[in-house]
Amino acid sequence: MNKQIFVNLPVKDLDKSKAFFSALGYGFNPQFTNESAACMVIAEGSIYAMLLTEAFFKTFVDKPIVQAKEATEVLLCLSCESRDEVDSMVAKAIAAGGRTPRAPQDHGFMYGHAFEDLDGHIWELVWMAPQQA
Amino acid sequence: MSKQVIFNLPVKDLEKSKAFFASLGFGFNPKFSNERATNVVIADGISAMLTTEDFFRSLIDKPVVQAKEANEVIICLMCETRDEVAGLVEKAVAAGGRAPHPLEDHGFMVTQGFEDLDGHLWNLVWMAPQD
Repeated sequence: MNKQIFVNLPVKDLDKSKAFFSALGYGFNPQFTNESAACMVIAEGSIYAMLLTEAFFKTFVDKPIVQAKEATEVLLCLSCESRDEVDSMVAKAIAAGGRTPRAPQDHGFMYGHAFEDLDGHIWELVWMAPQQA
Repeated sequence: MSKQVIFNLPVKDLEKSKAFFASLGFGFNPKFSNERATNVVIADGISAMLTTEDFFRSLIDKPVVQAKEANEVIICLMCETRDEVAGLVEKAVAAGGRAPHPLEDHGFMVTQGFEDLDGHLWNLVWMAPQD
């Protein structure tokens, strides 16, 4: 298995979602971005999210698309370099129209918080003390 | 430390799901596994956390999707060879999964997906090296 993953998520408005994740500091790979999909770089060479219009997402599945504001199939958890990065990402997400489903969790050696993007997909952010990770 | 991603997926029967992913050749990280969750190692820095529905529900304030009925996500993994794509799908089907689509062979790219025991969608892609 190669060390690359693409997490494909349906979005209602591709331009608004691109603006949302741009506001969080993410860039996009133009080679895999068009009017139906945007390839968001989470970690170059390893972790990407593909934001797909619902119509395009639908071509890959033979079941209905979940409305993620109403129900959840996945929690995407990303590691952060610091507690401040966790807080600042959540603050940026809320400022850009997202929501946070709960208060931060502080276990001392581990600090986590979460946000929902414009479509209701849940992103978890976790910092762990280096010796724990 | 490099960026890590863990995607948490709810499963109905943790033991059966562990057996399913073991038969596909994946290993587990016992450090992040207990009776409510199992960490499946996909690659360095990339893992799936199979989580019992009860535990998953405790993490969210919305209903848990029944992935056999509808999907929020497709997890796409890159394979190193053409044969790995079909090989993994074959193992998934033999272990009780489902292949919703036939293999697509575009020459420079081969892709096929499978559904795991809970209906979560996994897509496997091989692309010819560009250089």
